[in-house]
Amino acid sequence: MSFTTKDVVLKEERPKTLLLQKHSDYLASYGLNKDDYEYCMTEYLRMSGIYWSLTAMELMGQSHRMPKEDIIEFITSCQDSESGGVSASVGHDPHMLYTLSAVQVLAMYNRIDAIDVEGVVRFIKAMQQEDGSFFGDKWGEVDTRFSFCAVMCLSLLQRLDAIDVNKAVDFVLSCMNFDGGFGSKPGSESHAGLIYCCVGTLSICKRMDALHADELAWWLCERQLPSGGLNGRPEKLPDLCYSWFTMYQSTLTIKTYTTQSSLSMLNRIHWVDKKNLEQFILACQDAETGGFSDRPGDITDPFHTLFGLAGLSLLGNPSIKPVNPTYCMPQETIDRLKLEPQILHI
Amino acid sequence: MHGRVKVRTTEEEKARKERERQEKLKIFKYAMQKIQSKRKSSELDKELLELTGKVLSSNPDIYTLWNIRRDILNIFRKNNEADESLSQMFDAELHLTEYCLKINPKSYCAWHQREWVLTTRTDPDWSTELSLCNTYLKLDSRNFHTWDYRRFVVSQCKPPLKVEFDFTTDKLLEDFSNYSAWHYRSKMLVELYPDLEGGRPIEDSHHKHELKMVQSAAFTDPDDTSAWFYQRWLLGAVKTTIRLVTYVIAPKKATFAFSKHVDLSFVRSKTFLLINNQEIVGEWYSCTGNMYDVLWVFKHWASITDALDIKVMYENNDGIKEEILSSKCSNSPYIGRTEIDFERKYSAPVVEELNNQLEACRQLLELEPDSKWTLLTTTVFLHCINSRLNYKEVMENLKTLKNVDKLRAGYYSDLITKWSVEEQLYSDYKSDNRQFKVRFTETMSSLPHLQYYSFCEEVDLSNQNLSSKVLPSLIVLQHCKKLSLANNKLTSLRYFPILDLEELNLKGNELDKNEIELLKTSKNYNIIY
Repeated sequence: MSFTTKDVVLKEERPKTLLLQKHSDYLASYGLNKDDYEYCMTEYLRMSGIYWSLTAMELMGQSHRMPKEDIIEFITSCQDSESGGVSASVGHDPHMLYTLSAVQVLAMYNRIDAIDVEGVVRFIKAMQQEDGSFFGDKWGEVDTRFSFCAVMCLSLLQRLDAIDVNKAVDFVLSCMNFDGGFGSKPGSESHAGLIYCCVGTLSICKRMDALHADELAWWLCERQLPSGGLNGRPEKLPDLCYSWFTMYQSTLTIKTYTTQSSLSMLNRIHWVDKKNLEQFILACQDAETGGFSDRPGDITDPFHTLFGLAGLSLLGNPSIKPVNPTYCMPQETIDRLKLEPQILHI
Repeated sequence: MHGRVKVRTTEEEKARKERERQEKLKIFKYAMQKIQSKRKSSELDKELLELTGKVLSSNPDIYTLWNIRRDILNIFRKNNEADESLSQMFDAELHLTEYCLKINPKSYCAWHQREWVLTTRTDPDWSTELSLCNTYLKLDSRNFHTWDYRRFVVSQCKPPLKVEFDFTTDKLLEDFSNYSAWHYRSKMLVELYPDLEGGRPIEDSHHKHELKMVQSAAFTDPDDTSAWFYQRWLLGAVKTTIRLVTYVIAPKKATFAFSKHVDLSFVRSKTFLLINNQEIVGEWYSCTGNMYDVLWVFKHWASITDALDIKVMYENNDGIKEEILSSKCSNSPYIGRTEIDFERKYSAPVVEELNNQLEACRQLLELEPDSKWTLLTTTVFLHCINSRLNYKEVMENLKTLKNVDKLRAGYYSDLITKWSVEEQLYSDYKSDNRQFKVRFTETMSSLPHLQYYSFCEEVDLSNQNLSSKVLPSLIVLQHCKKLSLANNKLTSLRYFPILDLEELNLKGNELDKNEIELLKTSKNYNIIY
């Protein structure tokens, strides 16, 4: 029996308080140097990068530090007039992931008018397949992430009626597994990030009743390790997100935040230890550069910075604005749009 | 950034690295510009194939570049390129994806490109693909992309299911903590061995066999969690039914409570109200307004007076219509209730196996009384075998677990609540009392099965451990007049539902005075605070 728990050890000298000023400085300066290596190499997911940074800034009440007009102009220029979809950046192809990010950003800015809404609706509608699933783009990759993108995007545009919602729900439910969790397509293994996407889809479509809530929430709370952090699957390392590589393709694949957020939608966030979790998230801050990383001691980036802050918000941290667990956007935006994603009764 | 540890470097080293990066960046930018301009001028040729290939070799996630490659390959296909050279191009594409997967085994783009090539070319070699999966799973047995790709390959070349099932057995015998293999196994088990006669998900002898397999895994390493999830699933693999649990026909309102969420078409097609043997027509509304609900309101126009013969016909899962008679005490509405039954229905051989395993767990527990997984498993076995007989022991164990496994104390509290409510329901459904008062010693932390108490006019939830998040659940108390939530952990009333109460007791909660005042002015019932 040579079994060692896969976990990290929190160091005594880790950050223990929230370094808000550092984080907002970090995000404000991110991408100012257009020749920065990381910045250039991540052009293919720029639109999501903007969503991560802006949402993080909104949650800190610092969104005025973002170049609003430039961002809106950029989004307009990324919409493909033919398909109606939005790309990650100029010169890239339209895709569900970036169409969602663009709509989220415009929803926060209350500037949906900056894109051709009918075009976006047309694009998403065209991605739905006979079995209710969604393609990511015209090349036919199917994934429950794209189902979530579709319903989230359309609900933000108040156009959920444009697709067959019942079929979308049925497809997501066909991805349910023996442990109550969900994977990326029928037959795929459960994974915290994809569970978040599927639970989120059901939350927006108001079909949370279809979940095996107790089994699923038990699986999710078993993700918490002694360090307080959460892993994405049994017998894996804890971190704030899944993987540096996959996060860029699966911009929604994240662990600690997604697990927390799924548990919030399931109304069972009290099944994990909040104090330990908070400690872990705080330890993921970098006191020098600002920002959060995937686990203590790693390099920070805007993606983990958003999900670190959003996670603390879900835990009720009073210096961060309330985040909506389904949309991962400020609750005030969701309230303004009069959206009421479903939360399970307990 | 993921998994990239921050290392301290000297200034000199830093500068050297930066120069290197700027050099790389220059090449990258130049290549990207060239690609974009060639694409703009529709030069979809072999040169562009080479350019995109170079960039992708070190950046496999730039999705647009893969799109360009597919466009080019499609052009060569449509131009009737000779079979041989086309085949070579596709082979080269497979090599590129393999190269990219070596850099990043989790690149969605590279995996998808591989699928695209295999489904696009006319001469796919599936056996090569299957052996590629085997190789990759040897390198990382938990990469879910590889497992997904394997399922894709299997869906195309269709080997016998049993062969794949045996593959998971091999993988598990190598390493019991391979959760991915347990997962894949669960999918095939119900397809290979369903219990068609008994209506259970898994046929008896295989159910038993799997339980044994879990046991050997768990005993190899009790702290490895993978097998425990599979076991929990096996224990829950019983026939499930949706039951009508209680109905109330009052002059003002008629309600029907179900054991699970059901939708309008279900309610309409399975539930019939008869007054003096006459079927009543009316309209159904879910009490929350959701599509699926546990409590449905039936709006009808029949007048409900004393001395009526009221009963309900309910068509159960087996298609049999049950008659549920109503009873009526003076000054109360007509109430119908069915028998409470939360027991899991296993076959005799499975019960025998569970008892054997329980015995083994108990022995293990004697050696290590504080082992979480052994204690939890013992507890779940006890509950599953006979929840009523073992109730006391189960409660004691769950209380111990709250201490042994502190991170999940909230989970155990809710489990105590749920199983205690189930136990209390057995006796409450035998009495004619229309009052719900908590009679178990542990405090309630949530409100499971509350729809079973929808017939009550008095609900006493005082001195519990309830927080404001449970408030929306109270909506099922459609016939409640007197509700007490005194001495709980309520902090806000924002989500308190609309109820037809006469009295609401909120004493002993940390509520905002203004919120109480607001509630007082908006509600016409008596609020005690």
